[in-house]
Amino acid sequence: MKNEIQKFDLVILGRGAAAFSAAIKASEMSDGGMTIAMVGTGPLGGTCVNVGCVPSKYLLEASHAVFNPSHPRMLGIFETSVKHDFSEVMNGLRSYVAHARDAKYAQVIESYSNVKLFNGLGKFVDRKTVMIVGQDGKESATVLGSNILIATGSSPTAPPIEGLSDAGFLTSDTIWNLEDLPGSFAIIGGGAIGLEIGQALLHFGSKVTIIEALDSLLPQTEPEIGYALRAGLEKEGMKFYLRARVSRVSKSANGKSIHIITHNGEEIVEADELIVATGRKANTEFLNLAAAGVDTDPRGLVLTANTMKTSAPGIYSAGDCVSKKLFLETLAAREGVVAVSNMFGEDMKIDYDSATWAVFTNPQVAGVGMTENEFSKKNGSCSCRVFSLENLTKASIIGETEGIIKITVDPKDNRIVGMHIMAPNATDIITEGAYAVKNRYTIDDVIATSHIFPSFSEGIKLASQSFIRDMSKMACCVE
Amino acid sequence: MDKKNVKLRIYGMTCDDCVATVTRGLKEQDGVLDVKVSLKEGVGDVMLDGEKVKPEDLLKNRVFSKPSHYKAIITDQ
Ligand SMILES: Cc1cc2nc3c(=O)[nH]c(=O)nc-3n(C[C@H](O)[C@H](O)[C@H](O)COP(=O)(O)OP(=O)(O)OC[C@H]3O[C@@H](n4cnc5c(N)ncnc54)[C@H](O)[C@@H]3O)c2cc1C
Repeated sequence: MKNEIQKFDLVILGRGAAAFSAAIKASEMSDGGMTIAMVGTGPLGGTCVNVGCVPSKYLLEASHAVFNPSHPRMLGIFETSVKHDFSEVMNGLRSYVAHARDAKYAQVIESYSNVKLFNGLGKFVDRKTVMIVGQDGKESATVLGSNILIATGSSPTAPPIEGLSDAGFLTSDTIWNLEDLPGSFAIIGGGAIGLEIGQALLHFGSKVTIIEALDSLLPQTEPEIGYALRAGLEKEGMKFYLRARVSRVSKSANGKSIHIITHNGEEIVEADELIVATGRKANTEFLNLAAAGVDTDPRGLVLTANTMKTSAPGIYSAGDCVSKKLFLETLAAREGVVAVSNMFGEDMKIDYDSATWAVFTNPQVAGVGMTENEFSKKNGSCSCRVFSLENLTKASIIGETEGIIKITVDPKDNRIVGMHIMAPNATDIITEGAYAVKNRYTIDDVIATSHIFPSFSEGIKLASQSFIRDMSKMACCVE
Repeated sequence: MDKKNVKLRIYGMTCDDCVATVTRGLKEQDGVLDVKVSLKEGVGDVMLDGEKVKPEDLLKNRVFSKPSHYKAIITDQ
């Protein structure tokens, strides 16, 4: 029997961060009047809460709690070995994820009676109609939306490496099911996900080798920070193969052999377990976007204007399935809000220029705006300063001086166009950079603003002062 | 003249006065030829001159702008 078509004011494909933020905003704007269908598979909340931000930060924090007491940095504090049980930590992680999913997603959506959840994958029939396909591959419902939001996110991919599937590997989707800690890991991919998971496993006591195709870490940030982070991780025992290409993977007696080609020729990395963290692909293949007239880029990411409108009228997109540079929960949520606001006739635009991003290793890395290189390429010249945390009182008191604050300004007017930070709490203090870039503050605005002494945020003020003074000749109380 | 029919879903209407307010607001917009608003269905049917006003411009009508609590989306154009 053919399903009757159910009509909604808004059909949302996906149920992750972008989808939830859009559903809540649409409900608020219509005072609960908008009828919304939310379509998706897998646990509510999508990537961030289930297999992304939340479990990765949980694992990192737990790993630092184990690692830091055995690596004290202040005189008179002695190495202490922390008693811990990795499988209990993983149980704690999974139960925290379940709690966060329930409290922040399942219970929240239940309280919106205008939102109806559908289980299954959406597939466009035409510009307004979406067929929902259940797990059995059969059509379970058909919905019609006055507006449609594509928020189907992305999934981990693995490169076509000989022997990889046979040898088996973990990804950021599956690692959270680990019960016991393998003695060693090889991680293909030295981006944010590989480095975060890698440092967490290293801090729990595994040997970790990162294999990366590029010749530096985190190319989105300043090169000084990429080098400094690598040096810090190497000091902790992480091993790196940069400019390395994996040619083959095979099973070995105790684990896996990863054959890599480097400038030294072929080398073999042996590891008990292998993680692939080489990138993600948009979940758009199943959607039949052609039937709706929605254009994608060559990687399958949905092309949108900065209003989140796609090439098809009435169809918007938000989150990790959108063609853009940064793939973050914060942006997914913001894009959801922008899309919905524009459905109601507002002229809202997404602002990627002052979007902050982060890598939660210890020290953390965070950035906003342009790097020195990006600004110079665009404008021919720029002015920048690199401030070392060795010159920061707070950092030297706690002995964590392996950090940098780099600020780039437009030499025409000293307005801050980019800030990149490596510091223990870079993810918190980068917000000052976001305000500066968004509101076009000058370094004088930062200098004239009160900063606590001694603190890491003071480092931003000192980095700004380094444009006008030689920091080695400055007492710590100079304004 | 480029005559066009645009259907709106209108939120926030609770009584006949609301219908009158929304209808009046829409009718006052340049390029709007005719307006029919239904309280029961929460919809509006607008006939407009496409040379003078775009369907999206209806959503910017003062009757849908703060501090008004009425909001609308386009359902068909
Ligand atoms: C390990 C890891 C760590 C991360 N850490 C951070 C961090 O610290 N901070 C940060 O800001 N970001 C972080 N991110 C990125 C962040 O998780 C994502 O940017 C964010 O979750 C994207 O949300 P989304 O709504 O676009 O997609 P998702 O959350 O992936 O949701 C997409 C949804 O669409 C569903 N779907 C797929 N296909 C269809 C279809 N055809 N029809 C209907 N539904 C479909 C999926 O089942 C899913 O529910 C991390 C990501 C990973 C992997």
